[in-house]
Amino acid sequence: MQTLNRSSIFGAASLGFMAFFSPPLIDRAEADENLFGYVLGAETLPKGASEMYLWATHRWDKGQGTYSAYDTELEYEYGVTSRFTASLALLGQFINTSGLVIDAYLPGAESYGLKFSGIEGKAKYNFLAPALDPIGLSMMFELHHSILDSHSGLDKDTTSAVTSLQLQKYFLDGQLVTVGNLGLEATYADRAPLNAATQSSADIAMQNLTGDPSATFEWPTDPEMEIELTTGAGLSYRFAPNWYVGAETQYQSEFETQVGQERYSWFAGPTLHYGGNKWWATLTFFKQLKGGREQYINQADTNLHLIEKTKNELRLKVGYNF
Amino acid sequence: MRHAPLLVIAPLVIPVAQATEYFDTAGAQKALFPSATTFVDAKVHLTSDQRDKIKERSDVKQRWDEQPVWRVEKEGQFVGWYVEDRVIGKHEFIRYAAALSPDGRVLGIEIMEYLETYGDQIRQADWRGQFLGKTAQSTLDLGEDIKNISGATLSCRNITNGVKRLLALQQVALTKPAAAEVK
Repeated sequence: MQTLNRSSIFGAASLGFMAFFSPPLIDRAEADENLFGYVLGAETLPKGASEMYLWATHRWDKGQGTYSAYDTELEYEYGVTSRFTASLALLGQFINTSGLVIDAYLPGAESYGLKFSGIEGKAKYNFLAPALDPIGLSMMFELHHSILDSHSGLDKDTTSAVTSLQLQKYFLDGQLVTVGNLGLEATYADRAPLNAATQSSADIAMQNLTGDPSATFEWPTDPEMEIELTTGAGLSYRFAPNWYVGAETQYQSEFETQVGQERYSWFAGPTLHYGGNKWWATLTFFKQLKGGREQYINQADTNLHLIEKTKNELRLKVGYNF
Repeated sequence: MRHAPLLVIAPLVIPVAQATEYFDTAGAQKALFPSATTFVDAKVHLTSDQRDKIKERSDVKQRWDEQPVWRVEKEGQFVGWYVEDRVIGKHEFIRYAAALSPDGRVLGIEIMEYLETYGDQIRQADWRGQFLGKTAQSTLDLGEDIKNISGATLSCRNITNGVKRLLALQQVALTKPAAAEVK
């Protein structure tokens, strides 16, 4: 195996450091307008520019009972330099689930309207601009802390750090845009214990599901650590002034110390984007095409992962530049 | 309704009509050739072979067959070509006009319509002035010969390529009028 010597590692690190902190020779920002709902482009905001985002994602259908959840995000992004943007977001969620118990994940019915669920900070640095260089390349770092479990809706402290790369290439003078993403997320999570009534009803549900009168519902409260790999791609075509139509896809795989690969899922779907002088909006329907590894008891559709994911998602993003 | 919360923010995205036209044809002609006395419509109909040659010389695709061109005269003397063009911006077409001298130099460009979020500096004289004197033999590389504008990289790139293409179009499809043609 070829190994890098110490000086070449130091040289590469120095170049990376200089590229990151040196002032840009050329102003290269475009505008961080999201053509896609899930995958991201490589562009950053111009220096001094601001953008507000409002996201809403509807996740629904786990194959049994009722499951409907909304994730919301209100984000402010600022162009610190023409290569570097930073943002801060407030997160919220709604949930409505009943008729489904999933051991260790979903103890029973839960329903509430909009609740504050966490905060998120992002920093994105552009190395190569897609409209200037042969291909655009950015790196993003995200730090995310939530206080609610996005699956069950119950209390859960989760801290995640995500590092990702965004590639973007223009074709046909910019009429056709392609992007590719690769990201790695490390998560630390700690759940609060269930109250006695919820534990008891979940135990009974497990006994009914398994036919074992001694079965209990597991709800681990020891801190857990997971790593998730995400890769995605998208293609968007401007079919009329201001309007883009496209498709995007995302593959995610999660690994945990005790079980190895815990789950994987592959989503894909169409995207419609409107971009105006100040406003833009993107609507994406995402359908789970394939998924696997862990499944819940009596899961009917065994080609999907329906414990942490749903069959369908619909995401609307709105951005305002100022 | 299943997606009701999404509908709450949907009204925000209804497109609002807006128009920012800085010059009409007469205005751009006046700005680029202030002392001209006559603009003769000389619209160019390009053959497939001519479009291929433009692409070959400029490395930029000529997307349409018809190019709006006016022959410009001052008191009976042929002084150049006024060419209108459009290139793709991030959201909409950017309309601009170029003034070319009889021997194929850029005399000036004017932005006629620009509707993008960022990059209004594209209309300023110092950015447009970078094209003055450029010919089909000049290098026109964004970031080197032509300064980029932060937030409008795609617009800058496509206008730069557009001028490159018009200089090639002049060589391929515009011929100096014979003396008898000029009134």
